[in-house]
Amino acid sequence: MFDKISQFMDEHLSTPMARLAEQRHLRAIRDGIIATLPIIIVSSMFLVIAFMPNQLPKDWALTQFISANIGKILLPYRMAMFIMTLYAVFGIGYSLAKSYKLDGLSGAILSELAYLLTIVPFTVPKAGETVLALAKENPDLSAYLGTLPGGWLISAKNLGSAGLFIGILSAFFAVEVYRFTQKSNFKISMPPQVPASVARSFEALTPTAIVLLVISTITLWYGIDVHAFMGKLVAPLVTGTDSLSAVIIICLLGMFFWSFGIHGWSIVGSLARPMWLTLLENNSTAYAAGQAIPHIAAEPFYQWFIVIGGSGCTIGLALLFLLRSKSAYGKALGKTAFLPAVFNINEPMIFGAPIVLNPILIIPFIITPIVCASIAWVATSLNLVNRVVASAPWTLPGPIGAFIATGADWRAAVLNIILIIVSVLIYYPFFRLYDNKLLTEETNNNIE
Amino acid sequence: MRVLFVCSAGMSSTIAVNALKEEAKKNGIEIEVLAVGTQEFVDEVKNGWDVAMVAPQIRHRYSYLEEAAKEANVPCALIQPQAYSPLGGSRLLAQAKTLFEQRR
Repeated sequence: MFDKISQFMDEHLSTPMARLAEQRHLRAIRDGIIATLPIIIVSSMFLVIAFMPNQLPKDWALTQFISANIGKILLPYRMAMFIMTLYAVFGIGYSLAKSYKLDGLSGAILSELAYLLTIVPFTVPKAGETVLALAKENPDLSAYLGTLPGGWLISAKNLGSAGLFIGILSAFFAVEVYRFTQKSNFKISMPPQVPASVARSFEALTPTAIVLLVISTITLWYGIDVHAFMGKLVAPLVTGTDSLSAVIIICLLGMFFWSFGIHGWSIVGSLARPMWLTLLENNSTAYAAGQAIPHIAAEPFYQWFIVIGGSGCTIGLALLFLLRSKSAYGKALGKTAFLPAVFNINEPMIFGAPIVLNPILIIPFIITPIVCASIAWVATSLNLVNRVVASAPWTLPGPIGAFIATGADWRAAVLNIILIIVSVLIYYPFFRLYDNKLLTEETNNNIE
Repeated sequence: MRVLFVCSAGMSSTIAVNALKEEAKKNGIEIEVLAVGTQEFVDEVKNGWDVAMVAPQIRHRYSYLEEAAKEANVPCALIQPQAYSPLGGSRLLAQAKTLFEQRR
């Protein structure tokens, strides 16, 4: 009965839903953003280091050195995570062009062009006569005028997560124009005698001209601030993601797919990651500016407080298989599956135990993340632990990752350990039941 | 036999890779196995692999990956869920061998 229902659900619900997430534009967003993760992870470490002095004794030489040079220490972060959309657009354009079997590099460059055209460059106006006259008498003002930059400038604001949604749309627009011109032959074609490489260089002119003219008209010449417009449009989406109910829905969806053995996190992440990144970047920006951290539910919150040991917070189950198993199979599984689980890889257990389509283990697999999410949400809301501000590599052991992601807050490591204990407690009765079942099967087999 | 594994990020399949390698060693079969993520797969599959095996948790991406494998003329299959664990080595090897036979 259970088998029939689950097979029906898998064929008609989970697999078709999962395929939706494979739609080429969604896939391009996912792959493009994932390609920027190394930049985000490494550069957010500078953020953690810059604010270490908050956690260290004030009289240490190291503390004083960091405090004195905080602006400089943060510069690599400013050129990396702080302007992450600049990088993501390149990846999204590349992936989307590749999915149409077009040249990836051309798609990426065209996307970057479309995106940068949405940001209006400006110059600092020259000081007028009255200001200059005042500056002659006031050395402070004179020194200040000397620091003003010359030349053309662009604001970094919309190069970061604030520009992410416009960045995504720019990449879509650019690559679709590229595809349209290639497919419809609406391009400058050369007679066949012209060498192929020369002909190609002309072919690229048409989509570039269309992208340049259309976007320049909207943003540069008509002066429509598409970023402000988009910001208003997605604001409810972003704040909506930062709520306990959204966290629980996301967990339930992720677990739903995993229960059928489909990588739920990667599917849910395809849709939620732009929001998660916006939340995280708002947090890191506030942190770098020394302001209060606005959001709770950025991706690291899930990583370090909900999916400890892998989706389903299975670290507890891994510990139980390792230490409390009576069946031979459980013991063998515990030995091989525990170490990967420390590094948040739990496919060996999901498919090995298995948890997939296992009516006993699916119950705690769904309950544990929700309980952990609620505990972590309350602890974070009450400021018992810092909010997440940095992205730590997801393969770090839980307490270390939690410590780094919260800007070196040791209480986050403690919370992580408490949640591991919670995971053990919730999984225990179900583990007992399942392990006994394995044991009975093993003894029956031996008797036969 | 050269086997290319693909999973979401190329992490979890590394564990299955080790299980497969050990099993092959036991059976005295010369084997080379590499685990990659979905993004790398499309390019990597062109590099002269005998067999491509897709992790069960990304089966919703199977048709897309299979297409890439087909273009490269590499037989491709979805790994059975029971085989995708540290203890599934023998099943994995059997599946890899069957695929290897289908190679042209």
